[in-house]
Amino acid sequence: MSGGIARGRLAEERKAWRKNHPHGFVAKPETMADGTVNLMIWHCTIPGKQGTDWEGGCFPLTLHFSEDYPSKPPKCKFPQGFFHPNVYPSGTVCLSILNEDSGWRPAITVKQILVGIQDLLDQPNPADPAQTDGYHLFIQDPTEYKRRVRLQAKQYPPIV
Amino acid sequence: MMPMAAAAAAGAEAGARAPEDELEPLFDYSRVQPTFAFNFDDTDIENSDIFVHCNKRHKVSNGDADADDGADEGDKADQKAAPGAKVAVAADLGEEDWLPPPPSKSKDAVRAELEKNSILQELRLQKQVMAKFAESANDILEKLVETAKQKVDDANEPPEHIDLDKSPERQVEKAREKLVITIQEKDGQQQFRVYKDEKFDKLFKAYAKKAKLSPSDLTFVFDGDKINPASTPEDLGLEDDDMIEVRHKP
Repeated sequence: MSGGIARGRLAEERKAWRKNHPHGFVAKPETMADGTVNLMIWHCTIPGKQGTDWEGGCFPLTLHFSEDYPSKPPKCKFPQGFFHPNVYPSGTVCLSILNEDSGWRPAITVKQILVGIQDLLDQPNPADPAQTDGYHLFIQDPTEYKRRVRLQAKQYPPIV
Repeated sequence: MMPMAAAAAAGAEAGARAPEDELEPLFDYSRVQPTFAFNFDDTDIENSDIFVHCNKRHKVSNGDADADDGADEGDKADQKAAPGAKVAVAADLGEEDWLPPPPSKSKDAVRAELEKNSILQELRLQKQVMAKFAESANDILEKLVETAKQKVDDANEPPEHIDLDKSPERQVEKAREKLVITIQEKDGQQQFRVYKDEKFDKLFKAYAKKAKLSPSDLTFVFDGDKINPASTPEDLGLEDDDMIEVRHKP
């Protein structure tokens, strides 16, 4: 059963994460109201890289895994309206390694996904825009783009 | 028992020499020398008396291995060879130390004996099984007696006594449970061994002392949530080798 494979792999991912993960990152499966754990949805936090305009922000990201995982990549979503050239208005991240038809490989770990998205924050891909607002400012008005990014970092301060 | 030939030889010698010199020679070669004529003719050797029982055995084994028609032939050969062997034993080997060839048996007799053996084996097995039954029955009886005694003892003892006995043991076991926790800094990791039911406060203070920092400037985080120094690894469901993060307050 493919669902068994997905859950087994996710349990392994969680185990590995608890033992070791990059500093400042959070990745934990959703806990239901009754205390049970839903391995198919993970709530994560990606810290903005130091020395960039994203520094100081802790950006919430949700990973939605399907029963076809790891054959198919998870859907990675920032909050709706997140400001970034490669994030759809719905919040869905557009990244080659998260695309089933281009860069995704079943061996890619949750850790690699999150670090990959952290890299994307400061290095947008103008060849593959997903929203007009972020894309236009990035191309046409770098100063205003910078200001908006810094503003957004302040909107997502560290929880602790 | 002295062989006849040797006795005769000794008698002849004694007669030839002085009558009082009746000592036997140290080695009586007549015993060693073959008393029957040994023929080296090839054709005769196979039919020679000393090979009769060998040939017979060979034929019997052949007969057993072959199909039933073959066995019949073997049987006939056996019956022919067997009387010959008996005669040879009686005539030539009777007084020697040769082991007589095994008595010839008809196939039916052998079968009957095998059947008897198998029946005997079955009987022995049954006997063993019965012995085991008897043993286990004894064991069960002994256990019953023991449990009955224990029940009586338990009934006599007050129940509070048992609780008092057990509860300290449990606490000792709990206290012994230890965890290795990795504390992750921005630029490295350190591992600490802590008790599962010990408050984080002690660990945090130990870490701050080691890092030459004030505990009040540090925040410890597990899964994105700040760790309350008054809680324990057990409260958070921490497992061996789990990682917590330390963040420096700005």
